[in-house]
Amino acid sequence: MVRFENVAKRYGHGPEVLRDLTFQLRPGSFHFLTGPSGAGKTTLLKLMYLAQRPSRGTIEMFGHDVGKMRRNDLPPLRRRIGVVFQDFRLLDHLSALENVALPLRIAGARREQIEAHVSELLAWVGLAGQINARPSTLSDGEKQRVAIARAVIGRPNLLLADEPTGNIDLAQGLRILHLFEELNKIGTTVVIATHDRSLITTFGRPELRLSNGELTLHKAAPAPATPHPDAEPARQA
Amino acid sequence: MSRRAADLPLASDSTRRTIPMIVGAMVYLAALALAGTFALDGTVRQWSDSLRGALTVQLPGVAGAPDGVEAQTRIDTATAVLLETRGVLSVATVPHEEAQSLLEPWLGAGDLPPDLALPILIDVRVDNEAGINFELLAQRLEDAVPGARLNDNGIFLRRLVTLARSVQFVGIVVVAIVALAAVSIVVFATRAGMTSHRETIELLHLIGARDSYIARRFVGHALYYGLLGGFIGLVLAAVTVAGLVVAAQGLGDMLLPRLSLGYEVWIALLCVPIASALISMVTARTTVMRTLRRMP
Repeated sequence: MVRFENVAKRYGHGPEVLRDLTFQLRPGSFHFLTGPSGAGKTTLLKLMYLAQRPSRGTIEMFGHDVGKMRRNDLPPLRRRIGVVFQDFRLLDHLSALENVALPLRIAGARREQIEAHVSELLAWVGLAGQINARPSTLSDGEKQRVAIARAVIGRPNLLLADEPTGNIDLAQGLRILHLFEELNKIGTTVVIATHDRSLITTFGRPELRLSNGELTLHKAAPAPATPHPDAEPARQA
Repeated sequence: MSRRAADLPLASDSTRRTIPMIVGAMVYLAALALAGTFALDGTVRQWSDSLRGALTVQLPGVAGAPDGVEAQTRIDTATAVLLETRGVLSVATVPHEEAQSLLEPWLGAGDLPPDLALPILIDVRVDNEAGINFELLAQRLEDAVPGARLNDNGIFLRRLVTLARSVQFVGIVVVAIVALAAVSIVVFATRAGMTSHRETIELLHLIGARDSYIARRFVGHALYYGLLGGFIGLVLAAVTVAGLVVAAQGLGDMLLPRLSLGYEVWIALLCVPIASALISMVTARTTVMRTLRRMP
């Protein structure tokens, strides 16, 4: 699914923010990506969603060596990746429905298909009554859910989320993590960058930990009983 | 989703109003230059037709006896020289009264002073294909009638055509400059649009949009202001050209042959806004594709 081999990234002539990253994500896996601020989590995600090219090393996505691919061959690959951006990146001039429909439009789906799927998905994330609302009228939690709906509408093979719970309260964060679990159950590989240790503890998934530009894998701690979406997770000190 | 909103809100850009006006001004200038070039072409053709194969012989007049024996002798001698020349088709002396009327704009109507020796004019029609040696003919006329001059209208015509062609060239250069200016404006507007919508473009790129998908949005926008600007410019140019045609008709045949604008002129004018739209579209697409190529 995703394979990094000796990957490094530097910006301009600055120091390497990521060094010799070597790891592999199997299809259907679920990982948290953690590390202190400035550790390079967002840069690593950007490399994975093909927003940037590595300074050196090899990145394989879905069996393709990205470095050897022509620029014109990258868009179909990007469509297999759903991204939930930290700042949502919703388009203010479009309604919630139109924002979620963007990936389908780009993929050339028919209008009737788009309307049916998008409405259904917005209902699934609890925004059935907000389909015509502009992002500026939505709360942060609602925006987050629209962003998630947009990320998953194209049934991506890989779902990447950058601090998806950073702007919302704990209950909503839990609800969103449960959505990701549902998607993971149907085969989507999930990587979630987060600072929130309580979520990691609650969901008991393996952790990719970035520190000083280097990556280490930490196996999952035994998960507590599956929490109810509306239940408060145990906070870790 | 009753009405599909645009991925890129280019319709709300500030350039949406200004660019059609600028394109309109350019189309106006290009259309006028083009119309002028065509009109000049027609006028030169009329001049050519009217002057082709025509010569004028000017003999010294006889003061106080314009119709006297001496004058007639000069006419007969010159006519004989002309008719002996192969290629001369006809010879006709311009009546004295007609020669007088030619001077009226300068000397006024009425009797001219009796001691004024008006030159005697002879209209000559020649076969242009006969290869007449005009220098030799002029010399023979001078020998036969001292002071006789041969005015070759062809010289005047050639100078006129050269001048007209130069003006036409300038007209085409103006059209080319206007087209280049239009390209620059479209490049500027497209880049401005890409800058103001950079985040949206990045998002579309990241969720899998091809460059051509993004470029199509800008091409559609460019088509809009190319056509709207073209239409505005065309209407203004058509009104101006029609006004000039009416004004030229008021001049009659005094100075210029009748200003003619055939259907080909109007077809050419109609092509200007279409060309403007095409230039806008191609320029916008090229600009967007080149800029997007810098993205990963």
